[in-house]
Amino acid sequence: MREKLSKKFGLLMVALVTAMVLAACSGGADEDGGDDTSEGDDAGITAWAWDPNFNIAALELALEHYDNEEFDMEIRENAQDDIVQRLNTGLSSGTMNGMPNIVLIEDQRAQSFLQSYPDAFYPIGDYFNTEDFAEYKIAPTSFDGEQYGLPFDTGVTGFFYRTDYLEEAGYTHDDLVDITWSEYVEIAKDVKEQTGQAMLSLDPNDLGILRVMMQTTGTWYTTEDGTIQLEGNEPLQMALENYKELLENDLVKLSSDWSQYLAAFNSGNVASVPAGNWIAPSVEAEESQAGLWRVAPIPRLDMEGAVNASNQGGSSFYVLNIDGKEKAAEFLGETFGSNVEFYQDLVQEVGALGTYIPASEGDAYQFENEFFNNQQVIHDFSQWMEEIPQVDYGMNTYGIEDILSAEIQQYLDGKSLEDVLSDAQAQAENQFK
Amino acid sequence: MKKLIRIIQANNLFIKIFLVMVISIIAVSLSITYSSIRMSSNLFMDTFSITNSKIMNQITERFNSFTDSIVSASLEVDTNGTIKQLLQEEQENNIDQSTFYYHMTIEMDRIYAEVDPNDANMVIMSNNQDIFNMNYVKWPVDGEKLANHEMIQRVEESPNDIVYQFEDSEVTNGVPMIIASKALKLRSDYIYGYLFFSLTERDLKKFYESYTGAGNNVLLVTPNGQIISSNQEEMIGESSPKLLDYAESFENENSEYRNVDIFGQNYILLSEYIPSLDIYLVNLIDREIIADNVIDTSEIVLISIAIVSSAVLVAFLILRKMTVSISKLVNQISDMARYQFNKPLKETGGYETRKIAKAFNYMLNELQDYVQILMNTQEKQRKAELETLQHQINPHFIYNTLASIKFMIRQEKKEKASDTIDSFISLIQNSLSNIEETITVEQELENLKNYVQINQARYGDRIQVNYLISPDCLHLYLPKLVIQPFIENAFFHAFTKKKTGFIQILIAQKDHSLICEIIDNGDGMIPERLDNKTIKAKEKRQLFSGIGVKNVHERIQLLYGKNYGVEIDSKPAQGTKVKIKLPVKES
Repeated sequence: MREKLSKKFGLLMVALVTAMVLAACSGGADEDGGDDTSEGDDAGITAWAWDPNFNIAALELALEHYDNEEFDMEIRENAQDDIVQRLNTGLSSGTMNGMPNIVLIEDQRAQSFLQSYPDAFYPIGDYFNTEDFAEYKIAPTSFDGEQYGLPFDTGVTGFFYRTDYLEEAGYTHDDLVDITWSEYVEIAKDVKEQTGQAMLSLDPNDLGILRVMMQTTGTWYTTEDGTIQLEGNEPLQMALENYKELLENDLVKLSSDWSQYLAAFNSGNVASVPAGNWIAPSVEAEESQAGLWRVAPIPRLDMEGAVNASNQGGSSFYVLNIDGKEKAAEFLGETFGSNVEFYQDLVQEVGALGTYIPASEGDAYQFENEFFNNQQVIHDFSQWMEEIPQVDYGMNTYGIEDILSAEIQQYLDGKSLEDVLSDAQAQAENQFK
Repeated sequence: MKKLIRIIQANNLFIKIFLVMVISIIAVSLSITYSSIRMSSNLFMDTFSITNSKIMNQITERFNSFTDSIVSASLEVDTNGTIKQLLQEEQENNIDQSTFYYHMTIEMDRIYAEVDPNDANMVIMSNNQDIFNMNYVKWPVDGEKLANHEMIQRVEESPNDIVYQFEDSEVTNGVPMIIASKALKLRSDYIYGYLFFSLTERDLKKFYESYTGAGNNVLLVTPNGQIISSNQEEMIGESSPKLLDYAESFENENSEYRNVDIFGQNYILLSEYIPSLDIYLVNLIDREIIADNVIDTSEIVLISIAIVSSAVLVAFLILRKMTVSISKLVNQISDMARYQFNKPLKETGGYETRKIAKAFNYMLNELQDYVQILMNTQEKQRKAELETLQHQINPHFIYNTLASIKFMIRQEKKEKASDTIDSFISLIQNSLSNIEETITVEQELENLKNYVQINQARYGDRIQVNYLISPDCLHLYLPKLVIQPFIENAFFHAFTKKKTGFIQILIAQKDHSLICEIIDNGDGMIPERLDNKTIKAKEKRQLFSGIGVKNVHERIQLLYGKNYGVEIDSKPAQGTKVKIKLPVKES
């Protein structure tokens, strides 16, 4: 009898224990799952960039070319303005919470970050050889002798023109190579006369064309030590004169926004587009104009030492000084910093032209583009890229330009150029003292 | 099939109890599991929907502040003299145009920066299709497309209102967005430009996205039933009149929330109409997913399954043990009759069964003992009866014999009378004085001879009696008066039609048995008088002793067992043959 009871009790115990073990098992599984995800967050590298078709596509391609299997990177798309704003908010507050490991910054803004928050960025000069990159990219991406940015795309400019309009005006390709901006204005007048078309499209709120002209001489709104130099800035004066002359003669198709700017050349209303190489895909977008376009070197200012090469736009990658910086820097160094093959794919698949000089020897750079009359456009750009004069963009490029654009309106209204520049100089000095 | 039925019958008890047990265990656990899950999910749903209705208010608040900022921005633009002037001027040349573009942008930048309507883009279009776009990336709109869009017509129809509408057509490059449009007009009703605020669906989502989650969906539905924004991206652009119906009717109800059946699923619906945007803000909560997040149904179910199965297993084992032993017991009991109640039950199985088996066996033993005693008593009684019978001599026999002797003496047959008296004396002597139960064949033979002599003396010699006795039998013992009744029977009944004949008595050993045969050639018996080879027990007065023919067989079997006894073979008009089989007894 007693034996029986104990046997039954034993069975009950077994049942209970089984139930408890089952419950414990399912609970345990949940906990494991939770741990995994949080670890993933800690170990992963994040990158911020804008433009999914260009910069983000380039990052994804780099990730494909990176052999390190353990490397895991999350690429987040943000608008460029958002990136600037969030970086400013994050870095100025001093907490690096929520900051990415890798961030893409436009070259002309880079110095404002590097100078304002020097400790926030991680020097990555040891991860690649700066001499492999176009010289003009180094100054904007470095600060205080340390290399902070890994140069990405070039903003090398070209003089895209419509062969049909210019031939009608009596110009051949050779007539357009290595010209000055004054000659460009003269050609514009002929084109207007012969074809009735405007020479180029401009947005009066974007003074990019002035910067392009100015950089052919290696000057900028500021000097290397940060002094604002508007008054007596000869290249700037010359650029403004050319600008005014274009407008005064109604040689420009003005556009109020980007879509109008694109529409101007896609609809055949302008004869040329002097802009950074990144405009090429937009020009090529209008397939009906295939074979009608060619690219010449950008005109230079009519000054001593000016070259037929300049820059517009272009950005570089930066590594923030937070956990995972070595991993991030290693990734950039192994891909954007040294991988020739990657650059071939980058040109072919994304259409992005890097500033890594050894890459220009590759086959992809020799590609003859049918749209541009079988011109080796990429090769030409990469050649011009090496000649771009180096300038120090300084901290306040866009701030100065806001002041300048107001003054330019007065200049167009008839105010003298000297007064315009000296007034702008005074305003800028007050603002950025 | 038969086998199966047999198995079911054999395990009938077990199956019944087990089924009842299993069904009740499962029923109890199912109902407890179900009701606890339901109760907790209901409770959770109640609290959840209260939170959600507060969230709905917050989202509505956000939308209202957004539309407020749109209204104030459009007021700013409307009252801005510079913009009004710039848009009405005609630009002749590049310089004028440049100034126009520059100042427009400056003014708009100022207003846009002041108002900053959450991620919304501000666009102004002049009558010349010049576009001033504050955030090109948000809405890369083309002037020509916009000017020819029906939106313009709609704005012109109601020039005083801000018209909100959802677009994902070519004009927005297929990007779903909400566009607020307003005509910029003079008092004279002349429209000098158009103001647009665009908010992409992605930015619109930010108003409520942080409140959503798996199973907790927010949808914006236009009064046409079109879903213009949702955290469930695949729903955007779809049209659902049913959802609109629910949302509209919800407005008229006062309930906290409502259960609806939509998109093939069961949801909890909360809805709020936002008049400024003319849309319905709908919150669809998927009960199942939300409840699953809080209540781990699978865990509860798993635990109940584990408990149920272990309970069933335990019940199975215990029941099996109990019922199998009971069934075995029942089987043994039903087999009892076959074993003449003398095979005891096996005392195995559970406590109860063993007790039952023990009691049953005890009862069986008692019964057997009692039966044995009863049988013994009955046998003794029978024996006593027979003994008294065999010690009795029918008084009539004595009168008759004595009367016969008297007649012999009267007829002066002295010799015959004296012989008869001798025989009579030794017959009586042997019958009455010899108290032994068995006598030798020799003594029996003497008695027979005496009896025959008396009968012949009385009734004459017409019936002859011959004795054929094997000498090796003479010393063997046999019960008293086993042959005499048959002789008597033959004398008085076999020769009523035939007047003469003979009776032969044969005694010999055969196959270790003593065989005595009494054969007559008299009338024989009709078959009705024979029963199972013995004479029918018909009450008949015995002429000599109390032991009649019918008792002989019974008496032999009582003494020696079933292998021995009397067999009678008779044919009418031919005679009767009686065969008595006895064991060989030396003492």
